[in-house]
Amino acid sequence: MTSAPERAADAPPAAPRPAAPPRPRTDPDDAAPPATAPAAPASPGAEALWHAAPCAHLVVSADGAVVDVNDTFLRWTGHRRDDVVGSDFARLLPVGDRILFSTHGLPQLTLTGRLDEVALQVRGADGTRHAALLSAVRLDESGLLLVALFSAAERRRYELDLLAARRRAEDSEARIAEAEAQAQHRVRHDPLTGLLNRTGLLEVLEGELGEACCEDPVTVVYIDLDGFKTVNDSLGHASGDELLVEAAARLRAALPEGAALARLAGDEFAVLHRLPAAGVRFLAEDLLAALAAPVVLSGVEVVVSASIGVAAADDELVAGSGGAARDDDGDGAEGPGERLLRRADAAMYRAKAAGRACWRRHEPGRGDPTADRLLLLEQLRHAIAEGQLRLHYQPRVEVGSGAVVGVEALVRWQHPTRGLLPPSEFVDVAEDSGLVRELGAWVLEEAVAQAVRWERHPDGAPVQMAVNVSARQLVDPRLVPTITGLLERHGLPAHRLVLEITETALMRQPEVALAALRDLRALGLHLAVDDFGTGYSSFTYLKRFAVDELKIDRSFVAGMTTDPRDHAIVASCVGLGHALGVVVVGEGVEDGQQRAALEELGCDLAQGYLFSRPVPPGPVPPTAG
Amino acid sequence: MPAPSPAAVVHRHHVTQLGPPDAPALVFAHGFGSDQDMWRDVALRFAEDHRVVLFDHVGAGRSDHAAYDAERYASLDGYAEDLLEICEALDLRDAVVVGHSVGAMVAVAAAVRDASRIGQLVLVAPSPRYVDDPGTGYVGGFSREDVDELLESLDSNYFAWAAMMAPVVMGRPDAPHLGEALTASFCRLDPDVARDFAQVTFLSDSRDLLPRVSVPTVVLQCEQDALAPRAVGEHVRRTVPHGTLVQLRAAGHCPHVSAPEETAAAIRHHLLGAS
Repeated sequence: MTSAPERAADAPPAAPRPAAPPRPRTDPDDAAPPATAPAAPASPGAEALWHAAPCAHLVVSADGAVVDVNDTFLRWTGHRRDDVVGSDFARLLPVGDRILFSTHGLPQLTLTGRLDEVALQVRGADGTRHAALLSAVRLDESGLLLVALFSAAERRRYELDLLAARRRAEDSEARIAEAEAQAQHRVRHDPLTGLLNRTGLLEVLEGELGEACCEDPVTVVYIDLDGFKTVNDSLGHASGDELLVEAAARLRAALPEGAALARLAGDEFAVLHRLPAAGVRFLAEDLLAALAAPVVLSGVEVVVSASIGVAAADDELVAGSGGAARDDDGDGAEGPGERLLRRADAAMYRAKAAGRACWRRHEPGRGDPTADRLLLLEQLRHAIAEGQLRLHYQPRVEVGSGAVVGVEALVRWQHPTRGLLPPSEFVDVAEDSGLVRELGAWVLEEAVAQAVRWERHPDGAPVQMAVNVSARQLVDPRLVPTITGLLERHGLPAHRLVLEITETALMRQPEVALAALRDLRALGLHLAVDDFGTGYSSFTYLKRFAVDELKIDRSFVAGMTTDPRDHAIVASCVGLGHALGVVVVGEGVEDGQQRAALEELGCDLAQGYLFSRPVPPGPVPPTAG
Repeated sequence: MPAPSPAAVVHRHHVTQLGPPDAPALVFAHGFGSDQDMWRDVALRFAEDHRVVLFDHVGAGRSDHAAYDAERYASLDGYAEDLLEICEALDLRDAVVVGHSVGAMVAVAAAVRDASRIGQLVLVAPSPRYVDDPGTGYVGGFSREDVDELLESLDSNYFAWAAMMAPVVMGRPDAPHLGEALTASFCRLDPDVARDFAQVTFLSDSRDLLPRVSVPTVVLQCEQDALAPRAVGEHVRRTVPHGTLVQLRAAGHCPHVSAPEETAAAIRHHLLGAS
């Protein structure tokens, strides 16, 4: 890079440049030429002065034509007098300066009477550009303009340096801004489809909801592709991604202007748009139609439908804080945007439950139990696939010593919006639908894996793992091979797994159940009769089904210290169990009196809040308090 | 996007009004490198019997420079939309829009877009395309080399342009009735905006708009205009459906400044319904 002193040394032109006008003095008061300079020198003395002046001077008519020039100008620029006089002054300037002079400089001169130190360039006869400062005055009587031009080559160089520095600064600012914008973009967008992601959509949504509600309501359309998982599983993830990109493009093309489109997760998309309630049908049907055409993936034609749920913002949603949220069984901390999204999501599940490839509207306060049940089922199906289920473990203790000998695995559902749900909220629905097979399979797998994890932990210990098995599971021909494979895969000894079966389950298809129990027992598993005393408490099955354990229902245990009849029933159960040579377990033990009563009767094991509630798994098995 | 409120539009463009509010409306649109003050010697000649509306394009004069949006003003459409918003904000009917230079093409674009409030156009030194188009034989007055040079100078002449655009105090003892507001500055233009505006002005091609102008159009053509030669004025007059060409004696590009009397007289003579 050239240093400043070198540049200064280079500044005077090496080539002869005759009579270059001097640079202007820096004192602004002296910069303007005298306003009384003669336009047309009258005397020979004045004429000589005019031509020998240190500055280039021109006289220009009011409309911009050159009337006269001095010799200094001609020497400096190389122009011939005849070429200049009579021509347009602006033609002496490069095009940029010409435009500015014509549109701005000349009008200013006309209106205000003067121009001071305007930086521009003058074209020489050979095309060379001479940097100059132009000052000019308008003579009132004649309207003539007297123009003086000072050479400003060095100043021009400084300006170009400054300009380059400015451009560099702008470029680096632009680069920083661009990087920031990209980072911001990544936070709010889905990398696969380029659409907004959940964060981005919520941001737009909250912004829209904050707007005055004079327009059509903010509406969320929740779209879930039916059968996406099948594509992913059968054609691979690359094809799955291809399908998502195609779906995104089709949705985008089907949307009206101004609508926002997001990919929330997996195969779930959402549209955000303001539209009247009457317009919902058309939008939803357009979107369904857009997705209905077949897609060719890896040479295979795939038909994908979608289930769509729609929810529109209302006053209650926007105004609602905790109250509105509780209405929907939601988390009170969520914002209106999340609430609206969740409503659309729930409506989407209703569409799925209604047979897919259709759309449903969110219906506030809707109480149709059948629809709720179907919705729940649909959500549960997703929950199993997406890992929303959890197992909690309740210790089983020796009634006498209080030592933990095992645990019972109890399923919970970490519902995305309703929180942690106990089995009573969803197992019946699962049982009715057959989904319980998938649910049960998941529970078995997880419980066995956990038992092995505890056993392998340095501070862990072998525990007996009790798992509930439903009636449908029990008669499922896949149960026995599933369990066999499970135990082998995880390396858990069969006798450490206890299957708890209700009386009802045993009696539904007794012959099939009997065969299953026989096979399971042959594997070495322990079998327990759950909720003993509440179902078909028939001695027949105790005779036919070889079981290892009776679990006395909590309702009898709860009453045994206050109701002599309950006490009598518990006593009989213990006696019966022992008489048959099976372990007897008291369920739902809540206080010391109940425990003492069970101990007195000789009950073997107990579980209940007195010892511990069901707890999430830690590194070692839970202890009893 | 909802239309801005009338007050917002008035503020954005520093709209100035002269004359009786119920008189026929004359709207003056300035061109590149200038602002509404450039119109004053012409505008004042109509203030007695017309509702005179003066305004600054965003980025020029005393407009709200913060409202400048490079995207909106990347074409003449943004400026045309502004002009329509001004007509709307002031509830003008049958307004005569007088546009100078690129302001003339802004007026044309506005009239093509929505002529419901515009009754007539007066185009002062207009040019629908500054660059020659050898393909069609169109002569705009600037060669391709000129344009390259202009683009280069847009970049390298930043300080020159900035200095030229700096505010200048102008006293006009001969026109005290102009009032303070009109003498405070002269044609300020942000140099960065000037760069954008120059590109939009000198690279745009609005020839296709001309046949779509439905309102009567008067072209005022100057002598020896370095930016808009006579052939260009002829082209405009020929191409608009209802065109009249008026050849002024004034030379240069800014007859409203150099010859306000002649310019005002020409406008008045051709006003529809003029007595």
